[in-house]
Amino acid sequence: MNKYIIKSGIKKGAQYFIAIFMAVVTFFPLIITFINSFKNNEQILLGMFSLPEVWNFSNYPDAIRIANALKSITNSLLVAVATLIVTIVIAMPAAYAIARKSFGYLKVVYILFMAGVMVPVHCTLVSVSKISSTLGSKNSYLFLVLIYTAFNLSQAIFLFSGYISGLDRGLDEAAKIDGCGDLKLLTVILLPICKPILATEAILVFIYGYSELIFSLILITDSTKYTVSRAMLNFTANYTTSYGPQFAFVIMSMIPMLIIYLILHEKVEAGMLAGAVKG
Amino acid sequence: MFFKSKVYRKSLLKSLLFVLPGVILTVVFVIYPVINTFWLSLNKWNGIGGAPVTWVGLENYIKTLTSEKFWNSMLNALYFTIGGFVVLMPIAFGLALLVTSKMRGTKFFKAAYLMPVMLGTTAVGLMWTFLLNADYGVLAQFLKFIGKPEWIINWLATPTVNIWCVVLVNEWMYAGYNMLIFAAGIVAIPDEVHDAALLDGCTGLKKIIYITVPLCKNMFMVFSVLCITGCLKAFDIVWAMTNGGPMDSSATPAILLYTQGFQYKLMGRSGAISIILLVLGLVLSIFLNQVIFKQEDM
Repeated sequence: MNKYIIKSGIKKGAQYFIAIFMAVVTFFPLIITFINSFKNNEQILLGMFSLPEVWNFSNYPDAIRIANALKSITNSLLVAVATLIVTIVIAMPAAYAIARKSFGYLKVVYILFMAGVMVPVHCTLVSVSKISSTLGSKNSYLFLVLIYTAFNLSQAIFLFSGYISGLDRGLDEAAKIDGCGDLKLLTVILLPICKPILATEAILVFIYGYSELIFSLILITDSTKYTVSRAMLNFTANYTTSYGPQFAFVIMSMIPMLIIYLILHEKVEAGMLAGAVKG
Repeated sequence: MFFKSKVYRKSLLKSLLFVLPGVILTVVFVIYPVINTFWLSLNKWNGIGGAPVTWVGLENYIKTLTSEKFWNSMLNALYFTIGGFVVLMPIAFGLALLVTSKMRGTKFFKAAYLMPVMLGTTAVGLMWTFLLNADYGVLAQFLKFIGKPEWIINWLATPTVNIWCVVLVNEWMYAGYNMLIFAAGIVAIPDEVHDAALLDGCTGLKKIIYITVPLCKNMFMVFSVLCITGCLKAFDIVWAMTNGGPMDSSATPAILLYTQGFQYKLMGRSGAISIILLVLGLVLSIFLNQVIFKQEDM
């Protein structure tokens, strides 16, 4: 019996050790980068491990001034929010029709949407860039948001239509007897019920939209309109004289996401899982 | 039927309006570009509006498939896949076991491990290029500290080493995400199975090998599909860390099609890589799905 207790104690200890070790591995790079964002060049070149001798707060204002950091973060937040709104507004009615109506052509439409999952975004780059030059819509956020939406639709419609199919049809019937049209049924009755899945999809789209890189790389050329990923890459490639501001910019870009994660981490977990298992 | 037709037609029209915006977006930004890319892949074009587009047939495909760069990028994609199965899968599964165990603080650990996914790929990539910097990075400093400064090389500029650095950073970022998939599988194992295993004296590692892993088979399938299709598409993390360089040594197919198209202005070549990538992705997903369906039939 004693032996058993010791054995299980060791096992437990090992478990905690590994768990804590992995947590350290996860946080360590962030903490190091954060600490070094308060150093000047000489201190960084001495090595990243040490705490700064003098806490140098000028890196953050420098990044904001030189790289337009705050502007690009705002741009990305704006694009991300716009994308999630447009995605929900477009995907929800489509998912409703697919889940609740039985017209034959809707099956084809559903397959069309699901085919979108199979297309890697990179296969469309050349053509999308061509379309945008033809339309003169380089540097247009509207265009960018519509593209992001297009590539998020299949996931959104998959999740929404799955959720609506799972709801009791009796609700629809009752609403229809009360004289509800499709639009009213969708907005007044189904939308509030679908809140959980809407939140899930909103989080997924938001994460995608905030950090998306490749379309902003080919479509945004005006540096005041850079999204955060684009602005960071541009800054680290061109402003190589001083490391501190680069670190500061990277840390700043992570802050909005970390705040959201702190508040909504359980929702994020659920959302990520729903998004993954769809694959 | 005649009686219903007016209501029917109205309802049909309404449903059409509901799906139309989505259909238009998908056709304009997904379907049409793919067709257009296919057409471009059979032509030569430098990407400038008024420049001539000349028909070259399969030349782009032949040149791509015989170029060393392309096969090198495929090799890099393969490294991503190998890293996924050899490094990411065991770590993610291990983490999943931890966060579903009876220890305290599993909620905290789960949230902690998932955190890197939130940070944004570009930010993560850049952060790690700082940490891996040969002059001041943590790894360089560590090697100096243990007295092996001769081991310090410019990791991100050395072929093969650089792609593995990117692969490992990718695993760092996505370990928590894949942990979620496995954890969902482990949680779904019914309690009775655990009780039965306990009665039979099956615990610890034995239980993991004979009970947990086989019962999570579906989750391993999900992981495989995500990993293999994801590896072909790897772009952001590579771009942030090495730009695919030096000399395209760390380029994945997605990076290569970007540099060919937007830096060297070889739109046709870029299109050919795109189509190869698309077809390969489709074939692999169909193949994997087939495997999964066969498994489920048994």
